[in-house]
Amino acid sequence: MPSQFSARVDTNRDLGGGYVVLEFAAEGGGLGDVVAGQFAMLRGDWGRELLNPRAFSVLWSAPDGRFAVLLKAYGRGTTRLVASQPGARVTVTGPLGHGFAPPDGVRTQLLVAGGVGLPPLHLQARQSAARGHAGVTELYYGGRNRDDLVMLDDFAAWGVRAVLATEDGSAGIRGFVTAALEERLVEAQRSGEQVEILSCGPTPMLAAVRKIGLRFEVPTWLCLEEEMACGFGVCLGCAVPVHGPRPYLYCCSDGPVFEAKQVRWP
Amino acid sequence: MTAAPRTAAIDPASVDLRTRMGALELGDPILAASGCFAYGQQFADFMDLRRLAGLSTKGISPKPRFGNPLPRICETASGMLNSIGLENVGAEAFLAEKLPFLRELGVSVWVNFFGEDFAAYVECARLLEAGRGQGIAVLEMNISCPNIKKGGIEFGTVPEVAHRLTRACVDVTDLPIVVKLTPNVADIVGMADAVAQAGAAGVSLINTITGMAIDVRTRRPRIATMYGGLSGPAIKPVALRMVHQVATALPGLAICGMGGIVSGEDALEFIMAGASCVQVGTANFARPDAALVVVDELRARMAELGIASVSEIVGCIRPIAPEAPQVTE
Ligand SMILES: Cc1cc2nc3c(=O)[nH]c(=O)nc-3n(C[C@H](O)[C@H](O)[C@H](O)COP(=O)(O)OP(=O)(O)OC[C@H]3O[C@@H](n4cnc5c(N)ncnc54)[C@H](O)[C@@H]3O)c2cc1C
Ligand SMILES: Cc1cc2nc3c(=O)[nH]c(=O)nc-3n(C[C@H](O)[C@H](O)[C@H](O)COP(=O)(O)O)c2cc1C
Ligand code: FES
Repeated sequence: MPSQFSARVDTNRDLGGGYVVLEFAAEGGGLGDVVAGQFAMLRGDWGRELLNPRAFSVLWSAPDGRFAVLLKAYGRGTTRLVASQPGARVTVTGPLGHGFAPPDGVRTQLLVAGGVGLPPLHLQARQSAARGHAGVTELYYGGRNRDDLVMLDDFAAWGVRAVLATEDGSAGIRGFVTAALEERLVEAQRSGEQVEILSCGPTPMLAAVRKIGLRFEVPTWLCLEEEMACGFGVCLGCAVPVHGPRPYLYCCSDGPVFEAKQVRWP
Repeated sequence: MTAAPRTAAIDPASVDLRTRMGALELGDPILAASGCFAYGQQFADFMDLRRLAGLSTKGISPKPRFGNPLPRICETASGMLNSIGLENVGAEAFLAEKLPFLRELGVSVWVNFFGEDFAAYVECARLLEAGRGQGIAVLEMNISCPNIKKGGIEFGTVPEVAHRLTRACVDVTDLPIVVKLTPNVADIVGMADAVAQAGAAGVSLINTITGMAIDVRTRRPRIATMYGGLSGPAIKPVALRMVHQVATALPGLAICGMGGIVSGEDALEFIMAGASCVQVGTANFARPDAALVVVDELRARMAELGIASVSEIVGCIRPIAPEAPQVTE
């Protein structure tokens, strides 16, 4: 069950490439158990200038109320958060939304990540490894250059194979990570291996992953981002176009994880 | 120079927050605003809903509506634009599935409603009349539908049309109808007068102000319908001005004020301008218990200022005293 509580920035760790991990200590309460893909709404002491909290996927959450997010300065809210110093207070609402399903032990989970879309897949890999499923978990991780790929040591420590791609070729293969994903799917098709795709990242990447998943007829789950105000199903601002009886579902309360074939994108 | 009234601070516990909106009695003057509180359920995780004086539901139409394309919202300086498209479950599902939960809370339930055309408004009021005695206290008629097309704009902007519409809805229900006016008019007093003459039990002031935001990189509007409704602290001065104008011109008319209320002091400003009660909207998104925070702050601020009761300060403000005449020689 989600709750609202206040927390303080404990550490602000610069990972390079503009990425920052903020670790928080809750002052009473906490996020508790979090499913990979679930998020929290964070708001600093922003006064009346910035009204609404911002959504962040949970990177990890500990039983003592500590938790972390990965972020990059983007607009007004993230710029403030990236600059926040230890001791800074934030109001937290979460955990919110529905995350990814854990591996069923049969299908190989191909985690496809880009940019600040890493946290849900990082948490999925962490939890899968802890449950003994590192062998059926693989990471496909793309960025513009080497600096865009962060926290790689964790995946290595968990025994999760990572395939990297950069647009400038400075790490892994040169090009988009979706090319590597396609090759992997061809291989799986040939060998009859059962796979599924879990993806989070920039919308153009998710759009490409969706098309690939549909083409290869592989179960594909996308963790989406929409503009949010409340994060808990009240404002109806975060509509996601879908197929089915209703034209829209809500990113915050029905998602943020949606099945690719349900999403009504071009 | 105008001196502040000389009053000593009093005990917060002794402050009387009770108020009346026409014939309706409220435990305190703070309600949650329409469209910012859904049908209440989601808030149960975060607060004790029974502590609220009342709430206004998401706008209900006779049939369910699915809403607008995305993006539907964007944040602006001290505010946000929305174009949700009045998505709602429809009157029938509201009565069957949402109202029982609200009734249990024992708070003042205001059902915000609208129709796509004249007949649909009347139809909706008639359908909701079935909720009388089932927990509905007020029908809040939203005649400011900037986000639906079909000529809906006239209901909120042409006094004669608003008058006829209000009269037609008042005729089909015994529930009090509070008409929620749009600020997107030149003469707010004329609109308030027109609906009061038609039998409205009061007015809610204000709905969102039509606005726009542009993404210069893509040369696109930031919300799909191009224009949307601006809410939040950015609109508070406009809302206060309108509440004051209506309160001054139509002293007998009950007013529920809203627009950018975030703190107890904001609420106090609206009450002093002439509102008997107020609603908290956008602030709920950052803090689900925003309305309760406003109540607590209002009590504390009134105690500090030595104000014993809400009823003694509704519409209490006076103009600033005239300057001394200038001596030119
Ligand atoms: C479920 C979910 C999970 C998320 N998880 C994460 C996460 O783990 N880590 C993370 O970093 N972010 C995450 N985000 C995104 C994060 O919430 C956004 O970065 C944030 O909402 C944008 O806030 P802001 O204050 O930085 O931008 P704002 O100033 O609010 O800008 C909002 C809008 O303005 C425009 N805009 C402003 N600046 C720019 C710019 N420089 N370039 C392009 N457009 C711009 C865009 O249209 C944007 O949508 C997540 C979002 C969702 C919905
Ligand atoms: C997302 C959103 C949805 C809204 N939906 C409705 C609605 O369905 N009916 C209505 O009368 N007002 C609606 N409003 C207007 C609010 O009830 C309120 O009048 C306005 O937002 C000003 O108050 P605020 O600044 O406190 O938000 C909506 C406002 C927002 C932000
Ligand atoms: S963000 Fe408000 S409904 Fe999803």
